[in-house]
Amino acid sequence: MPKAMKLAAPLLALALLSGCATGGVPSAAGTKLSSDAAVSGQITVWSWDVAATALKRLSKEYTKEHPGTTINVVDIGYDNAYDKMSVGLQANSGLPDVITVETDHMPAYIHQFPKAFTDLKPLIGADEAQFDPSKISASSSADGKLLSMPWDSGTVALYVRTDYFKAAGVDPNKLATWDDLITAGEKVKAATGHALISTDLSTGSLFQMLLQQQGQGIFTPDGAINLTSAAAVKALALIKTMNDKGLLDNVKGWDGRVTATKNGKSAVMPEAVWWIGTLTGEMPELANKITVVPLPAFTAGGTQTSNDGGSTLAIPTQAKNPQLAGSFVKFMLANKDNQVSMMKDEGLFPSYLPALDAPLFHAPQAYFGGEKVYELFAAQTPKIPSIIYTSDNAKAGDTVSSAVVAAVLNHQDPAAALKSAAEQIATATGRKIAQQP
Amino acid sequence: MTSTLLRPSRRPSANAGGRAGARSTARRRRPGYWFVLPAVGLFAIFFLYPLLSSLWQSFFSTTGGESTWVGGAQYLRLFHDPLVAKSLFNVGLILVIQVPLMVCTALGLAYLLNQSWLRFRTGFRAMHFLPAVTTLVAYSLVFRVMLATDGGAVNQLLAMVGMSPVDWLNSEAWSRVALIASITWRWTGYNMVIILAGLQGIPAELYEAARIDGAGRWAIFTKIVIPQLRPVILFSSITSTIGALQLFDENFILTGGGPNNATLTPVLYLYKVGFQQFDFGYASAIAWLLVAIIAVVSVVQFAIMKEKK
Amino acid sequence: MTQTLKRLPVYLVLLVGAALSIIPFLWMVIASTHTTAALFATPLPLLPGGELWKNLARLQQETNFSQVMLNSLVVAVIYTAFSCVVSAMCGYGLAKFRFRGRGLVLGAVLLTMMIPMQVLLVPLFQMMASLGWVNSYQALILPFLANAFGIFLMRQAFLDFPDSLIESARIDGAGELKTFYRIVMPVARPQLAALMIYTFISQWNSFIWPLLMLNTEDKYTLPVALNTMIGLSRVDYSGLMLGSLLATLPLLLVFIIFQKQFVSGLMGGAVKG
Repeated sequence: MPKAMKLAAPLLALALLSGCATGGVPSAAGTKLSSDAAVSGQITVWSWDVAATALKRLSKEYTKEHPGTTINVVDIGYDNAYDKMSVGLQANSGLPDVITVETDHMPAYIHQFPKAFTDLKPLIGADEAQFDPSKISASSSADGKLLSMPWDSGTVALYVRTDYFKAAGVDPNKLATWDDLITAGEKVKAATGHALISTDLSTGSLFQMLLQQQGQGIFTPDGAINLTSAAAVKALALIKTMNDKGLLDNVKGWDGRVTATKNGKSAVMPEAVWWIGTLTGEMPELANKITVVPLPAFTAGGTQTSNDGGSTLAIPTQAKNPQLAGSFVKFMLANKDNQVSMMKDEGLFPSYLPALDAPLFHAPQAYFGGEKVYELFAAQTPKIPSIIYTSDNAKAGDTVSSAVVAAVLNHQDPAAALKSAAEQIATATGRKIAQQP
Repeated sequence: MTSTLLRPSRRPSANAGGRAGARSTARRRRPGYWFVLPAVGLFAIFFLYPLLSSLWQSFFSTTGGESTWVGGAQYLRLFHDPLVAKSLFNVGLILVIQVPLMVCTALGLAYLLNQSWLRFRTGFRAMHFLPAVTTLVAYSLVFRVMLATDGGAVNQLLAMVGMSPVDWLNSEAWSRVALIASITWRWTGYNMVIILAGLQGIPAELYEAARIDGAGRWAIFTKIVIPQLRPVILFSSITSTIGALQLFDENFILTGGGPNNATLTPVLYLYKVGFQQFDFGYASAIAWLLVAIIAVVSVVQFAIMKEKK
Repeated sequence: MTQTLKRLPVYLVLLVGAALSIIPFLWMVIASTHTTAALFATPLPLLPGGELWKNLARLQQETNFSQVMLNSLVVAVIYTAFSCVVSAMCGYGLAKFRFRGRGLVLGAVLLTMMIPMQVLLVPLFQMMASLGWVNSYQALILPFLANAFGIFLMRQAFLDFPDSLIESARIDGAGELKTFYRIVMPVARPQLAALMIYTFISQWNSFIWPLLMLNTEDKYTLPVALNTMIGLSRVDYSGLMLGSLLATLPLLLVFIIFQKQFVSGLMGGAVKG
């Protein structure tokens, strides 16, 4: 009895281990999708939040048009969605037919699990050009495959408290550059005592947004570390200046930003288009007090937008019914009417550019005093600069956030803080620091 | 929260040699196997494989979906990684500050609750135990809201007594304080209930004898109560120590390891390495380093316990 | 009079402790009765509002809360029952029998307590997937059925158990298993009760593993369902607080009812010596 037991354990382990050695790598590169295959059967889709609501709603339309199909939409919650999906990718099983992945998470997945996603190019062909280019680029692999389809955009603009600006005698439409905004901020502070911007410095997202506005990311196209570039220093110095002049209100997390906005802590909010949902939902009392203008540029005439957020839909190669999945994804996203409907019902701003022509985007919005805010976002979306993501973005992100805090709150010199961050990332990832001209 | 009862009592069975004879010893041996079989079988099937798998993976490095054999490189990397050092420093800090703080508080509260004349004992006990049964999601959200720099309840309270607000979750030093406070809040009542039970197990005669000898309250406390409570206090300390070294839940949800890794712990770090950077080999190496440290600390605590006996 | 005065500080300290312990719950109660928007206003609402039924209705609609609660109950009860039996048997075997490899088993159990569970998640997930157990309750229950803490607690309980009782049962011709169930377990009831409560609580609140394993909303347990209420660009705080409150109440109830057992049980395991 005991002897048997003593032998069994290691043998069992060995047997299972050999299974483990081959686990984690998909054996096939995925089914080749065809854009008009006959579909049947059922699929499961994972999503969260309003995205899940949109999927559930439109899946009913889809099944009406395609009898004999069933679409199961599961809300897996956003908070730990990536842990769930990462485990499924790593184990090469456990994932459904369609998953929702945010645009900025896609590059890491593509790099780490290059064979885990089905190429969507055959599905939409030339239609690919109709999507927001910055999103297509983030969803594409190095060998030209489209591994997820862009869904909604996180086009950024500046939300301005008109009442504060009025009190300070500043016209929100005259903010051509960030310097103009800082000057305005000082006037607002003098007149109303309020700060200029509320942001969560510890996430580093403001810095990365400013960097993207200048067309750059943490890494260069050939994978070197870009933090010592002039643009990066400029972005960080800008935030530091704001803080030094008492114009920055540092808050914590989502709840921090919402509370700060609700309590009118600051005069402007550089936020994405989906912020509108939060404003109308949580802060109805601020109606008619907010206007939307493009981001100030770094130099007059420069880019006035950036990106923050936005999701995509991907089909893992482990999907059991990839053809139906492909057909459904195409129905949801490469479809003008459906994209418009999602804007209307769920506030998801399309990255499918033809949808932006719809009358909805040219209608006055009561919350903003009749302004046609969606027109502004529609005009800016195609101008979002594409940037490079690498598999080390997540690793670098924490270091970048620390540099932001060090420079802004702890008074370190921005160039020095960024150089130190670049060096840390170089050590941790083995990449080179890009030589700056 | 893992816990362990580290009293490997080697007390022999009351009548070990009593009935004598090889037969009865064999008799006593075989059923033992049957009793432990379910647990051992379950461990072997569901624990051994993942354990060995993680050990195996620690010899690989994964980038771009490809795993390559690197021998002991991931272990060597541990010694050059400033974040490993920082996370160990952080748990060390928590171990040295939070565990004694919590055990002493629990002891004090239990002692007060043990007063024979006390009313509402059940109510007090239940209220103090409440934090230990809360769902993590809820309590962390509540704490985040309460510790918010602007308008958070804690800062509002400080303002009421004339103190300036504290940037709880954004400053390195204060975030550590906030973390220690939240762990203490969560587990003090739990330990208090355990120690209280120990207190109630102290025979009344001991108190009587001490009083007859003219001992004062403090003397009774230090010479009777503490010695009698030693096993319980040790249980509490050891549980809390292992919990501190393996800290993950509280800082994962409250601070995410920040700001600037001030509240990063080894388990949180290995979780990030595994699930955000997908380097499961390195995550495994970190885990095994932690196991080694916990094993050493446990052995030390064993030794201290044996000596005092 | 002086006696009451002397006692006052004690009550004061305990009141402070109790207050600190329950303040977050009071906040949860208040938050459950307001709209999410109201929770972000300053000053914070200090009194309950009137949104309780609306929040409850929304909670039920968004997460099918009653089903989720039932799921948690089923999983926790089944797990607790089987896990405690396994722990008791193993603890008994380790305590009362001398066999070769006993030290090894003890050491292995200790080891499992030292390993951070996070590092085992991926291989264990792979195993569940290859067994076809993804999105099943057996995946929640079986892998962790053998529980190191439980085994140790029971071992301590049985170490102190008088051998004479076991011997006399053997003399009377009772089989080992019968002896175990009829004689030994009943006497160890306090420790067993303590273990059952502790096990129930940790399974009820178990989060990461069910999160990874459960893929359909009708199977979600409480922590997973509550977590889905934390969205990307909106968090239903009031619903979340209400859900968390309701999720905590059964545990509190269990503790209050079994308080005496719980306390004396843990004691029996830890104090003697």
